[in-house]
Amino acid sequence: MNVVVCNNLTKQYGRSKVIHSMSFQLAENKITGLIGRNGAGKTTLLKIIAGYLHHSSGDVQVFSENPFNNLKVSANTIFIDNEMSFSQGLTLKELLETAGSFYQNWDHDLALRLFDYFSLDPKQFHGNLSKGMQSTFNSIIGLAARCPLTIMDEPTSGMDSGTRKDFYRALLKEYIAHPRTIILSSHLLDEVEDLLEDVLLIKSGEKCLHLSIDSLRDYAIGVRGKTEKVQEWIDRIETIHLQDIGANLSYAVVKNDRSIKELEDARQLGLEITSVSAEDICSYLTSKTKGGIDHVFNRG
Amino acid sequence: MLINADSMKPIYVQISEWLENEILNETIQADEKVYSQYQLAEMFNVNPATAGKGINLLADDNVLYKKRGLGMFVAADAREIILRKRKNSKLNTLVNELAREAVQLQVEVDELVTMIKDTHQKIKEEQA
Repeated sequence: MNVVVCNNLTKQYGRSKVIHSMSFQLAENKITGLIGRNGAGKTTLLKIIAGYLHHSSGDVQVFSENPFNNLKVSANTIFIDNEMSFSQGLTLKELLETAGSFYQNWDHDLALRLFDYFSLDPKQFHGNLSKGMQSTFNSIIGLAARCPLTIMDEPTSGMDSGTRKDFYRALLKEYIAHPRTIILSSHLLDEVEDLLEDVLLIKSGEKCLHLSIDSLRDYAIGVRGKTEKVQEWIDRIETIHLQDIGANLSYAVVKNDRSIKELEDARQLGLEITSVSAEDICSYLTSKTKGGIDHVFNRG
Repeated sequence: MLINADSMKPIYVQISEWLENEILNETIQADEKVYSQYQLAEMFNVNPATAGKGINLLADDNVLYKKRGLGMFVAADAREIILRKRKNSKLNTLVNELAREAVQLQVEVDELVTMIKDTHQKIKEEQA
């Protein structure tokens, strides 16, 4: 069953299109990573799915219903980000208790245990917490709510590295014990990739790739060697990325669908073939130019 | 393979190799139940789907067999299969390298075979 279905989903703010006719489905009980650069439209997309924003055209269905202003979707969805606003007059402990009353599957014991583990002060107010502590608190609510659709937009921003690791581990254990559909947005794919089953990569409001993390890791190969040899080899092959890496050396990234013969040719040309990490593939695919940042400094 | 050997192995391959090692050193015995994909996911801190892929690799090679509703179990001849598989893949890689180098050095096949025969003979004599 698909929990989220988008067809030609489009969102405009005034005249600028933030989401361009995006179509995809997210299956039940999978962890999907929503990956994209700053300003790619991740947050807008998530807010539309969570029912916080109207879409402009196309179609979006969450639990088979339009999420905007929808009680069924609200009751079964939690959206965690670092702009969550909580009542100023309630302490953290009171906030936890109140939050619990909104969600049917709320696990208060888990919330308290995580609260203790991450050394949050029950009498503190949300507004007085540091950015990392706010993220931690919000994430505890996200985990304890046990919502069938759990959306987390950059949940670890501001957290220190130990807390991030703990949080991801907690998320995995919770997911194994109580499977649910999770969408996790991040610009640090390296950090979350082991947790994910699928990746939805977006670039400038458009869907770039939607595949399993294992296919993404196999998506591309890199070739490194003398510039003229690399040039010779990639002639007629579409490159994802091309970069000078020093005196007369180049590095090119192409889709991993070359024939054995072509790979053999590369070897004959003295080129080294390497795998490309999922993080690198995403950053090359979402880069404006094929030369990356080096292109900016290349005035020659 | 043509892809560099030093490049990182996918996690599901690492998981299946780890399970193979557990079987080889008899931590998990024949006809014993292996870890579920959820246990492996927790142990390796990965998505259960990834762990499941590691288990499936071994099922495809008949190292593991499925008991309906009970999980995956170690096949009676699992150790032999693993040893044979590793022998094959290791030798294949080496032979591949060897043949490639020979072609590059313009060593003809007869010469290469003679070299292998001689070396093989020598090692046997040394061990005798």
